[in-house]
Amino acid sequence: MTPSTHRRYTLTWRLLDGIERAAAVVWPRRLHAHTGYLLLTPAVLLVGLLVIGLGYMAEYSLRELDLATYRLVEDYSLTNYQTLIDRPVYTRVFLRTLWAAILVTAISLALAFPYAYVMVRTGSARLRKLLLIALFLPFFIGQVVRAYGWLIVLGNEGLINTALTGLGLPRLDLIYNYPAVIFGLTQYMLPFAVLMIVPAVAAIGEDVELASEGLGANWLQTFRHVVLPMAKPGFIGAGVVVFTLTLTDFAMPEILGGGTSDFIASSIYDSFFQISDFGLGAAIALVLVAIGSLLAIAIFILVGTGTLGVTDERGRRAG
Amino acid sequence: MTGGRSKAAVLWSIVILCVVTLSLPTLIIIGASFTAGDIIQFPPDGLSLRWYERLWTLDSFQAALVRSFYVSVICTVISIPIGTLAAIATVRYRLRARRTIQVYLLLPFTVPLVVSGIGMMLFFGEIRILGQLWPVGVALCVINLPFMIWAVSASVNGLDPELENAAANCGAPPVQVFLTVTLPAVTPGVITGGLLMFVLAFNEFLVSLFLVDSRIVTLPVQIYNNIRSVITPDLAAVSVVYILFAVAAVWLLDRIVGLEIFLRSK
Repeated sequence: MTPSTHRRYTLTWRLLDGIERAAAVVWPRRLHAHTGYLLLTPAVLLVGLLVIGLGYMAEYSLRELDLATYRLVEDYSLTNYQTLIDRPVYTRVFLRTLWAAILVTAISLALAFPYAYVMVRTGSARLRKLLLIALFLPFFIGQVVRAYGWLIVLGNEGLINTALTGLGLPRLDLIYNYPAVIFGLTQYMLPFAVLMIVPAVAAIGEDVELASEGLGANWLQTFRHVVLPMAKPGFIGAGVVVFTLTLTDFAMPEILGGGTSDFIASSIYDSFFQISDFGLGAAIALVLVAIGSLLAIAIFILVGTGTLGVTDERGRRAG
Repeated sequence: MTGGRSKAAVLWSIVILCVVTLSLPTLIIIGASFTAGDIIQFPPDGLSLRWYERLWTLDSFQAALVRSFYVSVICTVISIPIGTLAAIATVRYRLRARRTIQVYLLLPFTVPLVVSGIGMMLFFGEIRILGQLWPVGVALCVINLPFMIWAVSASVNGLDPELENAAANCGAPPVQVFLTVTLPAVTPGVITGGLLMFVLAFNEFLVSLFLVDSRIVTLPVQIYNNIRSVITPDLAAVSVVYILFAVAAVWLLDRIVGLEIFLRSK
């Protein structure tokens, strides 16, 4: 080989050829039909960590705490689940959490729809950008910092109360109660709800609304009979996301509830780290997983997957 | 917009209420961080940068910030190859049981964080890696992986498969097609996903709470531990770090893909 051909066949090409040959040895052509599974393997293994964790939880939930040794017994039983049913405190916590999830979902959807509608329909690009930034900024700031912001505003020594006492007015209990938790959660869920509703609203042509108004309907009637029914997939997607996220939330009830309005997640945490009953905590955790999944599946079966629907490679909506 | 003045009035009042509620904590924190007094109150005791100065002298804060950064880098570095390959596989390749695989890969979103966190804590304890920092990064990658896959899938969907076929027809072997056609086409999705993974890992709190101890506490956990005691303005200055990060992330996201991408119809 002359030096000139050396130069023409560059180092990068040689390198690529090498990689190509190595790839052909490690993953020969007859295996190419399975390449998809090869590419998926790392992700499947990574999510496997979570499945292993769930396995541990399931095993722990079947083992009762031995109060003599403070360790879990080796024999399997359903005692921990029986305890959950027997102690009214857990029923109360479950109902409180469920009720909060219903409330937060209803309020978030009611506020998110006008937000999504205005954002999609406005003619001003600058306004649209502003509304998008107002959504994304809190999403990226994180729950703890946002809850801290509310503590500054609503706390007993917070801005509103210091202003009130400065004016000689009585202090208000704005924090460490159930409404504060609902409020904080709604603010937290709003961006999720808007982003799930937006694709459904964007799919409604403005001409449909014009047609409705041209036929004599006022805007409320148009909303009720045309826009809201057509935006249903968005409401389903947003509803499922907000409901399940609220049902399993920990930070807001802890920080804004201050121990007065514990959610299921707080009970799990306390079982593990306060009373050190890993079996009981695992049992609550599995019941929480079951409730969340069953409700989501029920909604999917009854009304479809909405904007959560997975699109397959032919672009057809699956489910 | 269609409709009359009453419609605009109703919709706009709700939107303004939402914008105020969404932005208020952020604005209040920024304001509080500049107070000169020892407590946060209204009207403030004047303006100063003393709480920011204090941050630079607080070793615990700096250590926690560095740890959070480290954890987020690990999370991002792991998620980029794993998420990209998984997205290409689920969109491009013929797979049996595609729905099952998709549901499986969405498990991090459907399993409550409190359950995933404790589950991984038990497993990491069993294999004796609990108490180190890198497993926290791995765990945060697990719980946010669907974001990465989703971001890359959007890019893969936008790539015409005929381009890859054309390259192969011109004699490019598989790895070359992947490196020179597929990868450059999905890069915007990879960057978006990586950005999401980094920011979400940087402010993730609940799973971190289970996986760190007092020696390796990360920043969100430290903020959480502190707001349960006394609320002092130094915490506001720490939170401003988060706000700056979020502003940078939103700006980058807007520059790379445009925030309007989220307004597409479905």
